[in-house]
Amino acid sequence: MADTAPKKKKIKVPRVVNGIETMVEIEVDDTGGPVWGPNDKHRLLNHPLTRVDAPAKVTGTAVYSYDVRLPGMLHGRILRSPYAHARVKHIDVSAAKRIAGVRAVVTVQQMRAQDRSGAPASGGSPSSVQEVRYEGEPVAAVAALSPEVADDAIHALRVDYEVLPHVVSPDKALKPDAPKVLAEGNLEEKEKKGEQAKVQDAFKQCQAIVEAEYRTQTIHHSCLETHGMVIDYRGKDSATVYASTQSTFSIPPDTAKALDLKDSKITSVVEHMGGGFGSKWGLGVEGKLACQLSRQAKAPVKMMLTRHDEFVTAGNRSGSWQKLKGGVAKDGTLLAFEARQYRLGGIGAGSQAGQPYIYNAVNSYREVYSLHTNVDSSRAMRAPGHPQASFAIESLMDELSYKLGMDPLEFRKKNLKEAVYHRQLDRGAKEIGWERRNRVPGTESSPLKRGIGCGVGTWGGGGRPQCKVTVAIARDGAVDVSVGTQDLGTGTRTYMRAIVAEELGLGMADIREHIGNSKLGAANGSGGSTTAASLSPAVKDAAVNARLEMASKLANLLQAKPEEIAFSGGEVSAGGKSLRWKQACAALPSSGISAHGEWKPGLSDNGVHGASFAEVEVDVETGHVRPIKIVQVQDVGLPLNRLAIESQINGAVIQALGMALWEGRVMDERLGVMVNPSFNDYKLPGALEIPEIVALIDDADSRQAVIGVGEPPVIPTVGAVANAVFNACGARIRELPITPDKILMSLQPLGRTT
Amino acid sequence: MADDKHRGKLKATLRNPSRRRFLQGVGAVGAGAALVDKLAFPEQAEAQAATAKAAAAGAKVRVPLNINGQKREALVEARTTLLCALRDHLEPAVTGPKLVCDHGTCGACTVMLEGKPVYSCLLLAVDAAGRAVTTVEGLGSPGKMSALQQAFVEKDATMCGFCTSGFVVSVSAYLSGNPKPTLDQLREACHGNFCRCGTYPKVFAAGMAASGPPHASLQGDENAGKGI
Repeated sequence: MADTAPKKKKIKVPRVVNGIETMVEIEVDDTGGPVWGPNDKHRLLNHPLTRVDAPAKVTGTAVYSYDVRLPGMLHGRILRSPYAHARVKHIDVSAAKRIAGVRAVVTVQQMRAQDRSGAPASGGSPSSVQEVRYEGEPVAAVAALSPEVADDAIHALRVDYEVLPHVVSPDKALKPDAPKVLAEGNLEEKEKKGEQAKVQDAFKQCQAIVEAEYRTQTIHHSCLETHGMVIDYRGKDSATVYASTQSTFSIPPDTAKALDLKDSKITSVVEHMGGGFGSKWGLGVEGKLACQLSRQAKAPVKMMLTRHDEFVTAGNRSGSWQKLKGGVAKDGTLLAFEARQYRLGGIGAGSQAGQPYIYNAVNSYREVYSLHTNVDSSRAMRAPGHPQASFAIESLMDELSYKLGMDPLEFRKKNLKEAVYHRQLDRGAKEIGWERRNRVPGTESSPLKRGIGCGVGTWGGGGRPQCKVTVAIARDGAVDVSVGTQDLGTGTRTYMRAIVAEELGLGMADIREHIGNSKLGAANGSGGSTTAASLSPAVKDAAVNARLEMASKLANLLQAKPEEIAFSGGEVSAGGKSLRWKQACAALPSSGISAHGEWKPGLSDNGVHGASFAEVEVDVETGHVRPIKIVQVQDVGLPLNRLAIESQINGAVIQALGMALWEGRVMDERLGVMVNPSFNDYKLPGALEIPEIVALIDDADSRQAVIGVGEPPVIPTVGAVANAVFNACGARIRELPITPDKILMSLQPLGRTT
Repeated sequence: MADDKHRGKLKATLRNPSRRRFLQGVGAVGAGAALVDKLAFPEQAEAQAATAKAAAAGAKVRVPLNINGQKREALVEARTTLLCALRDHLEPAVTGPKLVCDHGTCGACTVMLEGKPVYSCLLLAVDAAGRAVTTVEGLGSPGKMSALQQAFVEKDATMCGFCTSGFVVSVSAYLSGNPKPTLDQLREACHGNFCRCGTYPKVFAAGMAASGPPHASLQGDENAGKGI
């Protein structure tokens, strides 16, 4: 065998910045390495596994960032701008400082001057006057002995604002005389793709054409644990940050800048965190303010946003305004497609997948813009840009199929190339009973009209080399798997244990896992559904290396070659000889074994698909929509934990229902403020609204590789619900959420409300 | 400009109601309630009398609390909620109940007061003086979970887990009054709690499982977790 350098191959992997995923090409060794084996041959993986951290969560003993309380800790609060656009001329902090128990007050201007990260990228000095560009933008913060006193201090701050003109309506922001949200203007071109002239010619060949505008609302992540952290800094050269974050390793660099310390002197701890859904990255303004408060008071500061803060200054899913036109041939082929897409991300860019999304159009053209308004920037939210695009295109495809008189399912299959979609649509159709749908919408005699609709979605996910995992085996039999990653509630701890237990022939209870600490091995942030696909291969690699090392250490004792030694059923055995796990470990050198693992390309993949079917009941007298049943088919590659994946699909479906039917930010155009920034007025899905949900893992996907599944199932249900509403009563609602008023308004001209 | 300033001030008042201002507003109603409670809860009436004086001065009062069967004492302002007292003023803290909406909507702060589920973010600490408060920690521990807590684990009724304490307390309280609920009754019992991860179907499954012999499940066989 010739000795050659390892072969290299180029692969595409996801790169995630602040939760937004792009694919990049990297070169990796093409050396084989460990494999998972067939998906149906696992002992623990691909089975329903209960969460290893569930006992702590159901007894209230799991410690979240919000629960951290340190000796001498102060409580921080933020003062937000009540104006959508203003200049902060002066802040009088004297009254606040006089309140007993107030220990520190800092303005955003002071923070920017102190914080190394606050300087503009151009290198100039920060402006001396803060300009706030949305209601809720932080202007100052206080720290006090108790949360109550911190509230008092916030009310005692006197701010002199120069109020400036604002615009919060996208339609008005487009007008030439609209107030400028950004210096560059309100409309920012993002993409132009395709040949418009060719598309216009193709429309002339079409049998049926639909042209319509679709709008999706701004919705909020609504993480139950608000953004925030505890900064444990006492004026020395090091600090610890307990953060509610999706990225343990995003915290130290930000904190080091804010406290003017070295990165290596910052430890971030994320034991448990109460939901992120894409919104929790880095320290944020609140964290930078907390750092300055901590510097001023020389005491630890807990800074958790209030629920009101969370709504107006912690991000959202960008809204969308999509003008679509599609034309089809007699056989259903999408011949021509044209789109003008506006991403509505407030002062941010927003996100929206390019149309016609997953569908094939023979000729297509699109223009994509960010349209800015004076509201808080959108952030990544569970499959950024996809539910928006999916709702609009699924609605358009449905409209085209009805106009052509073709079965909406067959129509979709006609315009979807990949076989996986056909398979999933067929399975979902069978499960929901597609044949029960109305051939003609709204013809049921009862005022309670049922209908069925469907939608399809895709997501990238995938892994890349960024996790460093250690598996340690001690002489007393203890097995520890460690990496700095975080568990957002997805079940990271559980599959880490399962992978190691399976490899070493042990049970779940025999393994301990250590995560959520930046002093442990590096790990990626949890965005783009890349955590499991990046982490599980590294855990597998470390576990395999630990097994191989242990086998080589026990070879003499068992009088066998290392590769002949089997690990199973809590025993280590070869050639008829067998040792109980503890006996085997006792024979290890005193230092035990410490094996490392990294991501290996053969163990993860990317690209998942899902189809959703919704059955709803519309009361045409009240306009109320009740979801009855959702069937979601989802491929995932190798399912690490079937129970957790089923829960992920349930959760995504429920969030999609919220977007389709109930949730939405409501803005007061004149005042430029959000009028429903509380859980009283922002309608989240609740216990009474949850339909029957059938979460189906598509086991026909035979890829022996891990792919993330946190985001994709949120995509197709939104469109499926809108289409089911149409199938039920004939109301085509093109603007989310589908509220009773829209249904009634739509039915009135059709004479179908009674 | 003057209009703008006025607008800002008015809005700030409307949009950031403080508990102190709220207390001042409901003083008369509060006094009536105190009179009624004096008969049933003498300790509480005493604390409330101290409260009335303290509220004006922003001073603190000692509130005797009975948390999970243990006598504790919190030194708090009159306006301090039970939730805030548990989390921020007791040492060691009781952090099972979570602050989430701060408006009595989401149920993450649910505790039992004399066996009945209440939102501890809407209850003043002084109003809980001397009355039995049970938090999720009082229902079981990781090594000795209640049947419902065990069912939550087995049915995967927790994801990020921030809402879980509240659900466990709400469902426990409900099942103690109605040990064999229908699925619809259980849904109704959960209606005061929000979960953003979407664990509802599994919470229902856990509640039904803990209430006795299997009922019609919301989902298929995959609900059965392996406690390997």
